[in-house]
Amino acid sequence: MSYTQRETPILAELCTFLVEDMYGELAARVFSVLARFGRQRRAEISKASYLTSSQISLGLVILTQQHLVFHSPSTEPIVFYDIDWQQSYSLVRHAKIAHFVEERFDKKSANVISNLLTLGHTSVADLRKAYFPPSQGQEEAVNGKKVNGTKTNGDASNGDTSLVNGSSHDEHDDEVLGSPEELYSIVQNLIEHGWVIQVAEAQYLSAEDMHNIARQQALNNEWGGAVPTGTKDKDRLAHLIMANKRRIRDAWLEVPNFSSRKRKANDFDHGSNKRTKVNGQGQYGSAGGFDHSPEDDLVIRVNPEKAAVAMRNQHLVSLVEQRISYTTARLYEILLRSLEKSIPRCFEDYPDPFPANIEDQPQWEPNPDHVVNTKDIAQRAKIIGLDICNGLDPNAVARITKNTVSKDGVLSQPVDPSSLSFHERSEIVEAHLSLLVDHPLRFVTWHARGQYRVDFDLMAKSLIQQEIENTVLARKSTVAMKLLRALKKKGKLDERQLCNTMMSSANDVRGIVNDLTVQGFVQTQEIPKVDRREAKLSMHLIWYDVQRAREKLLHDTYKGQVRILQRIAFEREKIEELLSKANRTDVAGNETKYLKQTELDDLKKWKEVQEKLLLQLAREDDLVAVLRDYCGPLLTA
Amino acid sequence: MASASTAPLEPVSKAEDAVAPAAEDITSRADMLYEECAKRPEGTTFFQRDLTSMQIARDLNELLNLVGDLSNRHLLKPLQFEGEPCWKLRPKDIAEKLRRLVPDERLLYQHIDNAHTEGVWSKALRAKTNLAQPTVTKYLKSLESKDLIQAVMSVKTPNRKMYLLKHLKPSEDVAGGPWQNEGDFDSALIEVAAKVIGNKVQEETCIRVSGTWNNYASSDRQAAIAHKKAQVKGVPDIEEALPVQPYHPPVDPSASRLVHRSNPFYPTTLGLAKYLNSIQLLRGKTVRESDMEQLLEMMVLEGTLEKVTATAYRTVLPISDQKYNGFVDAPCGNCPVFDLCSDEGPITARTCAYFAEWLDTTSEEP
Repeated sequence: MSYTQRETPILAELCTFLVEDMYGELAARVFSVLARFGRQRRAEISKASYLTSSQISLGLVILTQQHLVFHSPSTEPIVFYDIDWQQSYSLVRHAKIAHFVEERFDKKSANVISNLLTLGHTSVADLRKAYFPPSQGQEEAVNGKKVNGTKTNGDASNGDTSLVNGSSHDEHDDEVLGSPEELYSIVQNLIEHGWVIQVAEAQYLSAEDMHNIARQQALNNEWGGAVPTGTKDKDRLAHLIMANKRRIRDAWLEVPNFSSRKRKANDFDHGSNKRTKVNGQGQYGSAGGFDHSPEDDLVIRVNPEKAAVAMRNQHLVSLVEQRISYTTARLYEILLRSLEKSIPRCFEDYPDPFPANIEDQPQWEPNPDHVVNTKDIAQRAKIIGLDICNGLDPNAVARITKNTVSKDGVLSQPVDPSSLSFHERSEIVEAHLSLLVDHPLRFVTWHARGQYRVDFDLMAKSLIQQEIENTVLARKSTVAMKLLRALKKKGKLDERQLCNTMMSSANDVRGIVNDLTVQGFVQTQEIPKVDRREAKLSMHLIWYDVQRAREKLLHDTYKGQVRILQRIAFEREKIEELLSKANRTDVAGNETKYLKQTELDDLKKWKEVQEKLLLQLAREDDLVAVLRDYCGPLLTA
Repeated sequence: MASASTAPLEPVSKAEDAVAPAAEDITSRADMLYEECAKRPEGTTFFQRDLTSMQIARDLNELLNLVGDLSNRHLLKPLQFEGEPCWKLRPKDIAEKLRRLVPDERLLYQHIDNAHTEGVWSKALRAKTNLAQPTVTKYLKSLESKDLIQAVMSVKTPNRKMYLLKHLKPSEDVAGGPWQNEGDFDSALIEVAAKVIGNKVQEETCIRVSGTWNNYASSDRQAAIAHKKAQVKGVPDIEEALPVQPYHPPVDPSASRLVHRSNPFYPTTLGLAKYLNSIQLLRGKTVRESDMEQLLEMMVLEGTLEKVTATAYRTVLPISDQKYNGFVDAPCGNCPVFDLCSDEGPITARTCAYFAEWLDTTSEEP
């Protein structure tokens, strides 16, 4: 089973909450059956739930539309359904995704992406119809909703805000799309940057199905369908399977040949030749019967993996801001953003299998895609008008600008960063980058002259460690954090060695080891020296495994998120009556007119409470991302 | 001197007393020799030439007799340095005690004496002396009760009793380095030392930059022109609106912040050890390079220092607005009953007292 697809009961509970909140009770009922019983057929779902057949169909349609369930390939006689945990959990990130897109592009793109999120997947034609409904009384577009202008999640009136958009946005004119062309170019841009991908049937394959298909392909191509026997061939098969999986997946990311915006609209007939075939066999793309452009058949959805990439960048930038300086953080942000386009996901889900022989293990190689030029960063910093001299040693600035520094570190001739020459700017940026290089977290690595590289994989591990340490630090004390670090550095230790490393007495350490063991961050081990098991004749080792601590913390965080959702439900329940009153159509919008002062206060308080809880939920999601999404399982030596 | 003490010992009682002139005469003259030697600084090693130069013995033969006499009374401890015999004085009271020992006891004493400040383990003693375990135990006890030897718990091997002479101070291998006191880490001392070293490292690797270090006036000409125009016209022109200025965090001129030096000379372990010794912080103890490394590594674990390269350390900049993570900042992350909290039962999200306090709302009574 794939690593990300492993679920825990607590995750099932969390996701059921999320589904219920977003898509209503029916979908949640079907979801919870699947969550509890695992992969199963329709008949079994109906047996396990008290739902009628049509209700189940409806629920499954919603879940399928949102990519929350996998189903077996259409070639199979019986269809099995299974939950896509990764996608289900990412419901909590909808608001974040919209926010990221707005930050990177503009409000219009954010509007498009948040509509895509609400709709699940959609064909470009449907999306267009949703934005620009045909004037004659034709049927309403996708999911019967006019989306242009109204921010789908933003229509939060009073109480029943869905989770994703805690804060409702005011409507602005700059959110409204002007023409279908604009929509197309936005969609194209989003696809090029990897935020939106094509829908393919393979996306509905569960990990096992995907594996089987990739395996069958490999067998058919290489061995004519027969299963190879030799060890070498088996290794080769394993490699081919992974390669096939990667190939299937990478096809989704391909940017289709849009009939370019540069060409005139009457060239559409030629454009269709260039369009790549949609993998989904066009089954979802119901093209309208009027002036349609060739990309109308394209079925698109939001790339769930891209959000993690953006979250990783955001997290790294905030770390730099916390630990180095504001200005360095901004430069780092520029650097990471420039890489973002070429990074579709945080880590490779389908790496080549590990060689059995440890010596054959390929050397770790830096990824050439993650290299940036100092000059580009300097240029960009100039454009956004960053005061790049800040956050540096004045002596360094003085050296670069041929200036002098007084004794107390004040420049004798103040330097205006906007008046620096290109060369000076590059050097100052280099000085910032060297701060990043020197940091123990190795935010960047020197690659070549004027070039720096980001080694995300190496950093991801330290980030996990960092978060575990943070948790321990916040709960306990520096001593506990010291203990974890000591164990991380030295491996398994007995009490005496541990005290030596930490330079503290055994009495101080013992209690903390106990606490951490109970919390599940540290394990103890007893190795008998004789064949009897006697405390005196055994070695007692204390050890710390990042992977275990990581899973424990992840589990706890899921639980914390569940509690927050439950608390929101409870808080809402408390003022249920008031909310239903405030949501009445005549009251909504005229609250001050119809509601009493106490009611208004209660309403305000509820909004504050909800916002606080949702914010915390999102912050816990940041932690989940660090723990789960930035690198695969860590192997313990 | 120190090298002499490490020289292998040979029980030299070879000073043959062939002819014994008047016994009292020898004793008194030997005492004179002892007194003469005692005038020298404590712990001096005496070679034959030193003893001759004291001019107490008339000739070499007599000197041999004198020395033999003193050795027999345990007042001189015979040693050998590079094949040459030499001697050290023993205090009179100890010599007195030694004279009363039984041979086995004396043998044990000699072995323990040899081990010097390192001490010797009782099992090793048994192996060296070929005595039975109960005998060894018995005599070790009696030696201890006579205040001749002491037992010390070894730091390296905590369940071994190491024996060494009473007047010696156990070596660092046995009693631990400068950071330890009676076999345990002296946390107060370590804290102070860490602070001193932390300050020293910070001084060398960081620089404090005041808020006004680069007090430039923004020379944004365009903005200035637009501003002036707006003032003159009274109505701002849309086209000449100021370009969006990037957000600058407010600069407090009095605030200063710590910044890592560019190209600093990172302090070395040896240099820091010398520094700590030079300020005489640890009275009577010297810090070796390895002790300093231990302290620095501990400070890295503690989070006050960070490693730049294998041997270079620098200060960790103070973290601006410490936030932990979403989980521990919420009530659940610090909840003492988190593991007992469930969907239903006495402890749930609905009845949670911590949520109520955090959100300033009320919870259900359980």
